[in-house]
Amino acid sequence: MSTPIAAAGLGFAGHELARASLDQCLKCTICETQCPVARVTDLYPGPKFIGPQAERFRHGQSVDHSLDYCSSCGTCTLVCPQGVQIAEMISQGRAVMKAGHMPLRDKLISQTVLMGKAMTPVAPLANAALGIKPLRVVVEATFGIHRNAPMPHAQSQSFEAWFKKHRPARTTEATRGKVVFFHGCAGNYFEVATSKYAVEVLEHLGYEVLVPSHGCCGLAQQSNGLFDGATHDVLKLCDDLRSAGKGLTIVSASGSCTGMLKHEAHEIMGVKDERLADVGSRIVDIMEFLWTLHQAGELPEFAPINLSVPYHAPCQLKGQRMGMPALDVLGLIPGLTVRESGQPCCGIAGTYGLKKEKYAVAQAVGKPVFDHMLKDNPGFGLCDTETCRWQIGKSTGLRMEHPIYLVHQALGLSPVSTAA
Amino acid sequence: MSRTVSSATVVIGAGLAGLTSAIALAKAGQDVTLITKGLGGLTLSQGSIDIWGRTGAGLVTDPAQAVADAPAGHPYAVAGADAVRAGAEALCGWLDGWFEGDLHHTRLVPTAVGAWRPTCLVPAGHTVQPAAGQRWVVVGPRRMKDIQPELIAGNLARTPLPDGGFVRARGVGIDIAARAHEVDSSGVAYARALDEPSFRATFAEAVKAVVHEGEIVALPAILGLNDPEAFADLSKRIGHPLCEIVTPPPSVPGMRLDQALRAYAQQAGVRIVLGAAVLSATTDGDRVVSVDADTAGHVTTYAADAFVLAAGGFESGALEYDSTGTLSETIFGLPVTRAPGAPVVADYWADQPLFEAGLSVDASMRPLGQAGKPVCTNLHAAGGVIGGAVRWREKSGEGIALGTAWAAATAIEEATK
Repeated sequence: MSTPIAAAGLGFAGHELARASLDQCLKCTICETQCPVARVTDLYPGPKFIGPQAERFRHGQSVDHSLDYCSSCGTCTLVCPQGVQIAEMISQGRAVMKAGHMPLRDKLISQTVLMGKAMTPVAPLANAALGIKPLRVVVEATFGIHRNAPMPHAQSQSFEAWFKKHRPARTTEATRGKVVFFHGCAGNYFEVATSKYAVEVLEHLGYEVLVPSHGCCGLAQQSNGLFDGATHDVLKLCDDLRSAGKGLTIVSASGSCTGMLKHEAHEIMGVKDERLADVGSRIVDIMEFLWTLHQAGELPEFAPINLSVPYHAPCQLKGQRMGMPALDVLGLIPGLTVRESGQPCCGIAGTYGLKKEKYAVAQAVGKPVFDHMLKDNPGFGLCDTETCRWQIGKSTGLRMEHPIYLVHQALGLSPVSTAA
Repeated sequence: MSRTVSSATVVIGAGLAGLTSAIALAKAGQDVTLITKGLGGLTLSQGSIDIWGRTGAGLVTDPAQAVADAPAGHPYAVAGADAVRAGAEALCGWLDGWFEGDLHHTRLVPTAVGAWRPTCLVPAGHTVQPAAGQRWVVVGPRRMKDIQPELIAGNLARTPLPDGGFVRARGVGIDIAARAHEVDSSGVAYARALDEPSFRATFAEAVKAVVHEGEIVALPAILGLNDPEAFADLSKRIGHPLCEIVTPPPSVPGMRLDQALRAYAQQAGVRIVLGAAVLSATTDGDRVVSVDADTAGHVTTYAADAFVLAAGGFESGALEYDSTGTLSETIFGLPVTRAPGAPVVADYWADQPLFEAGLSVDASMRPLGQAGKPVCTNLHAAGGVIGGAVRWREKSGEGIALGTAWAAATAIEEATK
């Protein structure tokens, strides 16, 4: 059963940038050998086959449902020595395939702001409900969200609510000008502590931090093939972030959302809009930002933290092609050893690992990451992206923190962690 | 916005040349950033180290001597035999126990079409040297792509060894699935399955059932990817000498070497930036100041005191030959040296002069421009981008990568003293 290109927004999927790169493919198989999904299941024939090979036969239609087993981690594009946009091509093929018969489940789980808004006012209740096994079994049967899938932990106060009331506890005057802090939906409703650490670090370093009220980047919708909704959300977000002021650096502690703004909305969905180009070129990952400061001699000395901590660099952070800046920055903290997993992906890939039919695949993908975290840790592990922290935390029982957690300590803003 | 990241040296490329120069400099105490468009050619390689396997006169028996006798203009003659030896020794030291062999002896390894391929350093214990009269059995899973045991055995048996003798060989397939529902698994799927002791036991039983007393057992190179004990365990279980045959890509021995060397580079402090194509360079007089890389969202400027161009040759796009007949180096726009006459000739079987095209360099591996002078004082080249050799025919690719990378790193170290 084939599906013709449905919506106008999907016109991009049949041709243009990513598709143009397929002739660069030499069939060298590097993507295939590095793909974390093909490693653990034969339900997915691998990125070379599903990407540049199958794309030649799609002609704007999508016929092979195995492509939905791609988790969109982007490893294939990252490792391709020829510049083929493999992951982008597959994401476009998926959007075409699902157009017209999108599962309700996929529409629901990509509404992250809605989840946050619904859960925050009733946080204890929501957290309790997510812990009730029989209820999760019903949810699995009804919606296809796996009963053991990691779920965010609702907070009773959103980050924006905290930010409005907080007063910078300054040790440094705000002499370095203004930066915009992007918190995203997870950083607003669920990973509130990470957002606070980030703002406190930036203020400590002498920045005036601006947080215009904003919502979701649309990444979860994009990775589920909901391009129209995702395009709407990402452009709304650009408007919101731009309202803080022209030309300001936008700093983010949400590893994957940053990638959506930097390149995915443009390269996958074909969004050509000057607002996106403007925001996408101004947004930086907070570790990338701190490393630039260090390079300019503008980062103060860090206090020692005598620990050895496991770390996983998320796929969507590596996909930004900037190396692993958290390793550089944490490397400046005396006494601290950070051990990177060396693994492509933890398996969750946004919403992939929540789905009933993909849960086992996602757990198998993440297994080496979980093992790495459990092998030697001081009671917590590090990872830059929210959903990855939920996945690794749920599967290991370990507390997961963003690398900014240790920078916050090393700058004397919170007590230094000691070995558990 | 643009961002600037500074290091002592920037290396472009993550193949053997790029990793070797980056590790050498990091171990000398330098802050090194390695930028690469994707994973390097090492993952596709044979996993062995070719030094010099063949000349027009036939098989080379002493690769080190061939290097010392390299004709003027050959990268070996420019880098020098000492750099080749030092580079190879360094690699063997970094990956302690990984390789066996020495630079004065050629080793023969069976290929996936049943040729005896000359090489020099091989993964320790993973190969058996052929000798006349030996009895070989080539065993391959029927469900594995691109492995035909009968073809391999037939060709091995009819190919004379250097002393004129032959091995006796037969091929036999076994029916064993790497994954339950898969009928055409890649070698990597088998290698991952063989990382699991339980599958090793089943696999070893299937092999033992078809081998005869006294036979050397050649298997596709799938005997474990990440478990360093897999090969020894299978040897013990099967109870015969085992010899791995490198497959067409994906190459498991290439992946093993790539993983080990990249992990070693990271431990040595090399900062690896994966996935970022280097777009252009900024120069100031006769010095390269920085290169711009295609990071997501914005261009990142990587500034350094020295640069190593180890981005490979035509295969990787570091060298280009376009439809107008123009040869170019794609990052710095360095002049490409080529033999006079047409670079490509119509005879399929003839030597193509294009394969010898590449950069000309001085003893510090600095690309040369007009009048034979270095284009930039702090820009060095290593590996496949350097011209003057036909690596696939000579079987010299890894040796050139190691020698030129070592010479470049040494020159950079000396310049900073």
